[in-house]
Amino acid sequence: MIKLKDVSTIYDNEIEVLNGVNLEIKDGEFVSIVGPSGAGKSTLLRLMTRELLPSRGQVILDGVNIVDLPPKAVPLLRRKIGTIYQDFKLLSNKTAFENVAFAMEVCGMDEEEIKNDVPKVLGIVGLTDKINSFPNQMAGGEKQRLAIARALIHRPRIILADEPTGNLDMNNSYDVVKLLMKINELGTTVILATHNREVVNIIGKRVISMDKGKIVRDQTENGRYVL
Amino acid sequence: MKESLERICSVGWTNFKRNSYLSLGTTGVMTLVLLLFSGLMVVNFLSSTIVSSLEDKVDISVYFKNEASATEIGAVRQELENLGSVAKVEYISQEQALNDFKQRHAGDVLIQESLNELDGNPLQASLNVKAREPSGYPSIVQFLEANKFRSLVDKINFYENEQVIKRVQSISGGLRNWGFLATMMLAMIAVLVTFNTVRLTIYNQRHEIEIMRLVGGSNWHIKAPYLVEGGLYGALAAAMTFVVFYPAAFFISPKVESIMPGVSLIGYFVSNGVQFISLVSFIGVLLGVASSFVAIRRFLKV
Repeated sequence: MIKLKDVSTIYDNEIEVLNGVNLEIKDGEFVSIVGPSGAGKSTLLRLMTRELLPSRGQVILDGVNIVDLPPKAVPLLRRKIGTIYQDFKLLSNKTAFENVAFAMEVCGMDEEEIKNDVPKVLGIVGLTDKINSFPNQMAGGEKQRLAIARALIHRPRIILADEPTGNLDMNNSYDVVKLLMKINELGTTVILATHNREVVNIIGKRVISMDKGKIVRDQTENGRYVL
Repeated sequence: MKESLERICSVGWTNFKRNSYLSLGTTGVMTLVLLLFSGLMVVNFLSSTIVSSLEDKVDISVYFKNEASATEIGAVRQELENLGSVAKVEYISQEQALNDFKQRHAGDVLIQESLNELDGNPLQASLNVKAREPSGYPSIVQFLEANKFRSLVDKINFYENEQVIKRVQSISGGLRNWGFLATMMLAMIAVLVTFNTVRLTIYNQRHEIEIMRLVGGSNWHIKAPYLVEGGLYGALAAAMTFVVFYPAAFFISPKVESIMPGVSLIGYFVSNGVQFISLVSFIGVLLGVASSFVAIRRFLKV
């Protein structure tokens, strides 16, 4: 379970990005966070991976306030959370296999595990035939699926997707969303930050609307993109 | 663990190769530092050899007035031998001094003729005193200058040698201090250059680093390759230092030996090779790793 208690984030001591946000997300939920640019969606996700620390409040994951985590424990926290971004964040000089393997290598996994797990996860996202392709030889949707594969490699309990369809056309966006829904059906909590109306309406699950750093609406079931 | 270490070393080596020109420049500056440090060790070796050979030659010659009898001199000798700081006392009578002098100048006709012209023996009886430690001489001189010997002793010649030793020590001390200062300054430049090289590598790899952070790469996995990279600069610089230093020492050694017979520069650095190589390598790697460490702390937030 993820809980945010009275979270505020102020950049450079003057720009208030989040203002007293309270939020609770249960295990296995699929939550879409919508809102215009600057609403605070990405900041909210970055707080959950402790890329950012709030100026005030608590970010609680599985009963632990991650704001108080010692720096050494942060990598372990991040292994529990898979992250997906609009710009894919892939390494252009590495193949699909190597991009996913890289995420395992830097976490100290052994060669055998890597050889075993990477093809499996690439299979899950439908990229078996692209295993030796470089990102620049792949279409946008494939790149995002590769990024999802990398996010899945540590079998995370939570997936944070920050505008994952921002660089994709509708068909590819739909594929990516279907994949995220499939992952969610297998028990993984998915938190999707987007301002793509069609995508949110297809999902039809919980929708949290944000504006100017505040939650302005929380539709817990069959949510629609409403600001 | 083994694979993890292998990966860290392999990434460090890749970083080193990727910026080959920059890496060579950094290694070059570090090599200069290590060469200067090695030069300091040469200065240290030579000056300590000179000082210890001078110290070996140092003794106190106490010249007695002609009125002093052999018995009186014998009493002084006895008292000197009882001093704890005295290692050896040798008595040279007037006759022996004259014989030694004649032998030394056997080929010099003018001196021989001049000696024959003289009525008596112009040389004085003396005691040569060797101390156990060079630091013992001042107290022996003080003992001899005491009132009870004043009527017998004509001259004590320790001070001249003392001046030479002090001068050698002061020159070598000055060389050491300036050399140390120059080494420190160059070391600081090397640290700055290495620091900037690692900083540039970190900048070039910012995307990889960002991904490593996002996927939960441990601090050790993210940072260690840069430490390895810094260490490699130091290790390679040490290797280059040996490649330059040993042939140079081999070339200079005969010249040193012609000035200071029995002193072999190359012999010293070969017989102490393990210690020398270990020390220079350690300093090189330490400089590289420390520079990387500072760069990582400053620019690599994980």
